[in-house]
Amino acid sequence: MKEFMMIFIGADYADLGLSPDELQNRMGKWFAWSNKMEQAGISKSGNALHPQMRRIVGQNRTVTDLTSAEVKEIVGGYYIVQAEDFDAVEKIAQDFPDYDLGGTVEIREVMVFDN
Amino acid sequence: MENKHIDHLFRYHSGKMVSVLTRVFGLKHLDIIEDAVQDTFIKASLAWRNKQPENPEAWLTRAAKNRVIDIFRKLNTEKKHLPTLTYGTDAIAINELFLDSEIKDAQLRMIFTACHPKLDPKDRIAFALKTVSGFSSKEIASALLIKEETIKKRLTRARKSIQKSKLQFKIPQGKSLPLRLESVMEVLYLIFNEGFHSNKSDKLIRKELCGEAMRLCKMLLQNEHTRSSATYALFALMCFHSARIEAKTNSEDEILDLEHQDRSLWHFPLVALGNTMMNKAVDDDTFSCYHYEAAIAAEHLRARTFEDTNWSKILEWYQCLYDIQPMPIHLLTMAVVSMQDSNLKDAKKFLDQLESKDLEQRAYLYYGALSDYHKLNSNYSEALTAIDKALELVNNKLEKEHLAKKRFKLIEPSQLN
Repeated sequence: MKEFMMIFIGADYADLGLSPDELQNRMGKWFAWSNKMEQAGISKSGNALHPQMRRIVGQNRTVTDLTSAEVKEIVGGYYIVQAEDFDAVEKIAQDFPDYDLGGTVEIREVMVFDN
Repeated sequence: MENKHIDHLFRYHSGKMVSVLTRVFGLKHLDIIEDAVQDTFIKASLAWRNKQPENPEAWLTRAAKNRVIDIFRKLNTEKKHLPTLTYGTDAIAINELFLDSEIKDAQLRMIFTACHPKLDPKDRIAFALKTVSGFSSKEIASALLIKEETIKKRLTRARKSIQKSKLQFKIPQGKSLPLRLESVMEVLYLIFNEGFHSNKSDKLIRKELCGEAMRLCKMLLQNEHTRSSATYALFALMCFHSARIEAKTNSEDEILDLEHQDRSLWHFPLVALGNTMMNKAVDDDTFSCYHYEAAIAAEHLRARTFEDTNWSKILEWYQCLYDIQPMPIHLLTMAVVSMQDSNLKDAKKFLDQLESKDLEQRAYLYYGALSDYHKLNSNYSEALTAIDKALELVNNKLEKEHLAKKRFKLIEPSQLN
């Protein structure tokens, strides 16, 4: 078994002006998804991230504070799961609830070093 | 772990939170309050992804209390006018505002604010659906079939009128209460009708609007000051209509009139509830238009088949309704009812009191009825002239199809001649 990270990229919920009903429905789908992974015993960890960000770029270490509204897409969170290969994770990622909001799931394998 | 997901929990709580926070901070801070509430639900939706709280409602109430503190801080740093409550010493007072009875009181205050006569009638519905019911402007737009931009404008205009008129966030008392209550009931009635009579949006949205109007009406009934015989009658009317909602459309989502509805789909527990409410509504003898409308709806429900309908009783109720609410549309309905009862003399009497222009944009209904009248008198050419006039004036696509079908049936017998 290998470890993979699913990184969720997309617009911030606050910028989409979702209604309470829509938020509740989404929450339900996320809950069902994480529940499914947990029951399959494949989820390792995961977090949601605050939309505020501070970027430090380049030689001069230029610092900028950004809000999600200024950047179209942000990393909103991640999960780490155990799986056989990319295909298996792709299958898991089918249940990601926010594709309809233009969301993206990026799958990356966690590197393991010998000894 | 099971999903402790209560239908519309977020939406209902949004209305509660906005109301209670408005009671603490006043209507002038509504913008900040709505943002804070929105933020709470985003946080909840993220926090509950992996693990849902044992008691979701308690979680949300706690979050709302925390928002009180946040907003105090925010207003403090912005040096904005703070309400008289001071944070810390009055923490107990704040806690008390979150008692169930106080939350209900705050929600009623919000309903009365949203339905205030100082607001434009069109803005009242949008504002009520937003602040009391927790719908987004996008959801309101799709429910009312109005552009989202227009809804946003109405919401802004409502907020401005509230600030300009310095509306008080309270339930009116004494002499002004009955009048204001009337305005509230009118808004609830309109919201319900948007759901029940709209033939454009899908069934789910229609049911949601009806359910919402009933929920708000129930809130009025739960408070001894805001319940009246008219409120009971309005609730009864909503029950009677809702009982038929499943039967109103067929599987292709086409509208079915009373004649063609499958009566086995009527939901009788709602009819029973409506009857209970109606009994309470007639406790005193001041009857409102809701009383008569409910009586008419009940009369339709009493008939096992369309043919069993007691048209003369229905006509009697319409006459009562017309007496207290002399609207041209009631005359037209009475003409139609008389025709159902094969009472052409009465039908003519009612039609003669009407002119097409009385019905404004619904003039096509007048010509439709006039065509039926001529047809029943076997005056096919006059019936045809009237239906053509109706077709010329109708806008709605479904209504147009309905009239076209009628026209087709009209030319059949004349071709036989």
